Amino acid sequence: MFEFLNQPEVIKNIVIIGSMLLFFIGLFGLLTRKHIIKIFISIAIMETAIFLLFIGLTVKLDFIAPILDTAHTNVSNMNDPIPHAMVLTAIVIAMSVLALGVSFAIEYFKLTGKTNIDEMNEMRH
Amino acid sequence: MNRRKISIKRELPTATLSGFVLSALLILTILNILLQNMPHKIETAGDLLLKLNTTEGVANAVTTVVVYFRGFDTLGEISVLFIASMGIGLMLRSNTKCNIKSESNFMLQTASKILFPVILLFGTYVMIYGHLSPGGGFQGGVIIASGVLLLLISDKAFEVPHSVIVALETFAGVSYVLIGLIGLLVLDTFLGNFLPHDISQMGMLLSGGIIPLIYIIVGIKVGSEMSMIVQNLIKRSDDV
Repeated sequence: MFEFLNQPEVIKNIVIIGSMLLFFIGLFGLLTRKHIIKIFISIAIMETAIFLLFIGLTVKLDFIAPILDTAHTNVSNMNDPIPHAMVLTAIVIAMSVLALGVSFAIEYFKLTGKTNIDEMNEMRH
Repeated sequence: MNRRKISIKRELPTATLSGFVLSALLILTILNILLQNMPHKIETAGDLLLKLNTTEGVANAVTTVVVYFRGFDTLGEISVLFIASMGIGLMLRSNTKCNIKSESNFMLQTASKILFPVILLFGTYVMIYGHLSPGGGFQGGVIIASGVLLLLISDKAFEVPHSVIVALETFAGVSYVLIGLIGLLVLDTFLGNFLPHDISQMGMLLSGGIIPLIYIIVGIKVGSEMSMIVQNLIKRSDDV
């Protein structure tokens, strides 16, 4: 019944649509929530969606992981290593940004006792 | 009736929702482009790098791309991580540091003492075998930092020794740049592979020239920085 799911195009489209759904969940949280930590969590969800999309677009099912050994000097059936490397970079940058943002939020809460972004209007006056 | 309508209108965040719909439309356009078949050239972009990878004698092609072909980017990346760690240290600094209020239970205290050496060993293994198997410096460093986090939540008095972290971080950063400069002197390229990297040695622990060395250095740096970030986030002063 579900054999059509094994087709490569179907799997690719499932990955794209699923990661975009995850992206929308994060975007909705980013725009509607007021708590600053929840906003950071939404940003993290959006980043995860982008990583999934980036990997899922290039990985092919019948190809093997890009790890060579003495028996596998043939590289024609290996997956592309560049998206993996770039996502590795992006994860570290995303983690740094998230940790720095959370530390800003903690320090702001210590100073003013506020977590709602609608009340953060000290710079307006 | 009329008043009720107005109150419903006020509750709905119209600006937010319209912004959401607008960005959803934009992203659906991108999605529509992505769902079309991509040109064949994009899909075979990595084959050239995979062929080049065999000349360096490193089994894991992702490691070669991260550390060798994009080595300068990785140097910038660990600089970003260092700056973030420094910013968190400046933000959350306090003189009277104490751990989270509640005492951890006996099970966690005992299990963390057993588990921490194993986690440390596994992190070191992932770090050292990064050029042969999935894994590498970033992953191993984060595994070691998770072990430090386990110690921090179980033991109230535990604190990461600051001088050790400073020494490790300085050593790692300086030696990364020094290896790159030696490559510049010997082979006229920054991060040139000046150590022997023969294709026949592929799959051995001692293979790939400077690539495993650099990944171990990255692992030391990431592990120490992540440990400091975790400690700064979990320890806070009492006067909240």
